[in-house]
Amino acid sequence: MVAMRVPSCTGFGIWWQMANGLFSVAGAIAAKDLAVEWRTKTAIVSSLVFAILVLAILYFARDATAVSAFEVAPGVLWVTFTFAGMLGLNRAFLLERENHALDGLRLTSATPSAIFLGKMVGNAVFVGLIELVSLPLFILFYDVPIWNRLPVLMLVVAMATLAFVSVGTLLSAMVVRTRFSEVMLPVLLLPFLVPPIVSAVQVTWRILADRPMAEMTGWLSLLGAFDVVFFMLSIMLFDAIITE
Amino acid sequence: MMPPDAGVVATDVAWRVGYRWILKNISLTVAAGTVTLLVGGNGSGKTSLLRVLAGLARPAKGSVSCRGGVGFVAHHSMLYDSLTGRENLAFITRLDGGHAPARVDALLKQMGLERAADQRLGTYSRGMTQRLAIARALLSDPGVLLLDEPLTGLDEAAARIVVEVIKRRRQDGHAIIVASHQLVEFMECATDIGFLVSGKLAAWEPVNGRDAGAVMHRLRDLVADG
Amino acid sequence: MNRRDGALTTARRGSILTVLALAGFAGVYVRALMFTPIERFQGPAQKILYVHAPIALTTLLAFGVTGLLSLLYLILKDRRLDHLAASSAEVGVVLSIAMLITGPIWGKPIWGTWWTWDARLTSTLFLFLLFVGYLVLRDALTDFGMRARYSAVLGVLALGLVPFIHMTVYWFRTLHPAPVLLKPDAPSMPGVMLVTLLSSLAVVITMYVGFLMQRYALSVLEDVREEEAALELS
Repeated sequence: MVAMRVPSCTGFGIWWQMANGLFSVAGAIAAKDLAVEWRTKTAIVSSLVFAILVLAILYFARDATAVSAFEVAPGVLWVTFTFAGMLGLNRAFLLERENHALDGLRLTSATPSAIFLGKMVGNAVFVGLIELVSLPLFILFYDVPIWNRLPVLMLVVAMATLAFVSVGTLLSAMVVRTRFSEVMLPVLLLPFLVPPIVSAVQVTWRILADRPMAEMTGWLSLLGAFDVVFFMLSIMLFDAIITE
Repeated sequence: MMPPDAGVVATDVAWRVGYRWILKNISLTVAAGTVTLLVGGNGSGKTSLLRVLAGLARPAKGSVSCRGGVGFVAHHSMLYDSLTGRENLAFITRLDGGHAPARVDALLKQMGLERAADQRLGTYSRGMTQRLAIARALLSDPGVLLLDEPLTGLDEAAARIVVEVIKRRRQDGHAIIVASHQLVEFMECATDIGFLVSGKLAAWEPVNGRDAGAVMHRLRDLVADG
Repeated sequence: MNRRDGALTTARRGSILTVLALAGFAGVYVRALMFTPIERFQGPAQKILYVHAPIALTTLLAFGVTGLLSLLYLILKDRRLDHLAASSAEVGVVLSIAMLITGPIWGKPIWGTWWTWDARLTSTLFLFLLFVGYLVLRDALTDFGMRARYSAVLGVLALGLVPFIHMTVYWFRTLHPAPVLLKPDAPSMPGVMLVTLLSSLAVVITMYVGFLMQRYALSVLEDVREEEAALELS
């Protein structure tokens, strides 16, 4: 890390140092999470296999003569991302339970916001990896023509993923203390995913159907507003979770 | 306001779980450059007191001040089994806003973990894990070091290292509080003894050349009184 | 007056309110069936509106109260706010079950099916499930402070979610009759129906407050019992 020499007597200097500290601590936590996951690889492999299975099973779970693959495709994509993603959310805070590592984090000068941001980024990378692998398979299995609209699709995926990991990271921090955390997380999280997932599906089917951008802007703004509101809420409320 | 030579000051600290008071009216001052031995039976509140002093638990009443930061060595390592010893320590320094490979190396050397530094924590023995935990606590060079039953599960050699570290910190002018059942090893370096009975600080006395047996006797008397 | 007596008084007052509300409910019922004209397009089945709509609004009120009290708890840390928020959530869950039952009863004669993925029923369904989750979370956490803090966080999140759910399902195709009361311009119901509806609303809100007081009193009494148990142990 390069030490930045900024005069701390100026207001901007203080902000810069704070932001710098926040991001470097968050980055350290995210890097650590990913390093640990890389060493064991259990969660990522299970989630990827799960995603592929869901894509495949849902292809067969319909009356192929009545319903085309194209019609179910948007829903299938987002169901796959959502459920495979949820498998990965709990591991972020479960890791801190072994050896009471969370206490160790609290003993350092890392702020709750930095810890939240680090965990969130780790989750985002995890979910992003699942999406990266699932998307080409989805295009392959469901034979959907999206190559020309790929940028818009990437945008929707990015925005929905942000919503997912913001609320998901916060809620997983809460449920990890309960006994049935694997069940509790979906129960609490899914209602919060209704606006972003519905918006994402609405935009996705319009992308697949080659509709004009104007039809998508409404849903994209809803998704964007959700991102902003819930990212801010999650990062602010995390303090109450981690401090006694 | 902390007196200039104080390391830890607790004023009228009380802590509870639900409606059960675990710590009641605890006030203490630990001077810098001293070692305080915290003794008490099971469930007397030693771990809870250390957690409150470390800042991990918020007291319902009262306040705590520690000069120069706190290092805490607890029963669990608070580190990650999948990372190596060196990676664990490097991670902790990054959280405190630094990047200090030299310090990490120095501590690993001091704790006798150089050879094991690049092996995963999961492969360490209990003694090695404890030494790494101490290294972690010392990374920020804290003014106060808190240790909760540090000798549990350690062999003689490892126990000696722990005591050496405590003596060294004391010489360097830092404050140390050790909660332990095993008194014999600490009697030579301890300066004061705090007796915890049912969540209250029944007595706080200098060692005065007593041995472990005398201290246990004193504790038994205090428990009988309280 | 110590906490136990205070709680018992609250419980008593709450039950009086509930009884009054039930009596009022009977009155509204009679008025709705006998003295309010039949609606032109929907026929007699429309009269369920006088039960369904007030319950729907009060459910929203209950969950909104939980959300606001959760926010206040996070700021003020007063344990009573936590008890009140949880009580409101419980009453809200019961009310939403009532709403989810009366909705299809209304829907069947009018739309031909018991359940349609209609906008408002769907959002209530999600809120209902969310608050059941809230109660399950509370149940799963034994430590006081953690339970209060975590529920409060969930409550605030839920508060933020309500407008988004509303907008999401609203933009999705809807079968629900266009909003009659909560429209930006004047309500388009004839006076006599409006009076029935509003009195029904008043009755349901009174019932909510009555239940809320009783449930809150119960929480306080449980708390008092725990305090006494702890004192006995020490």
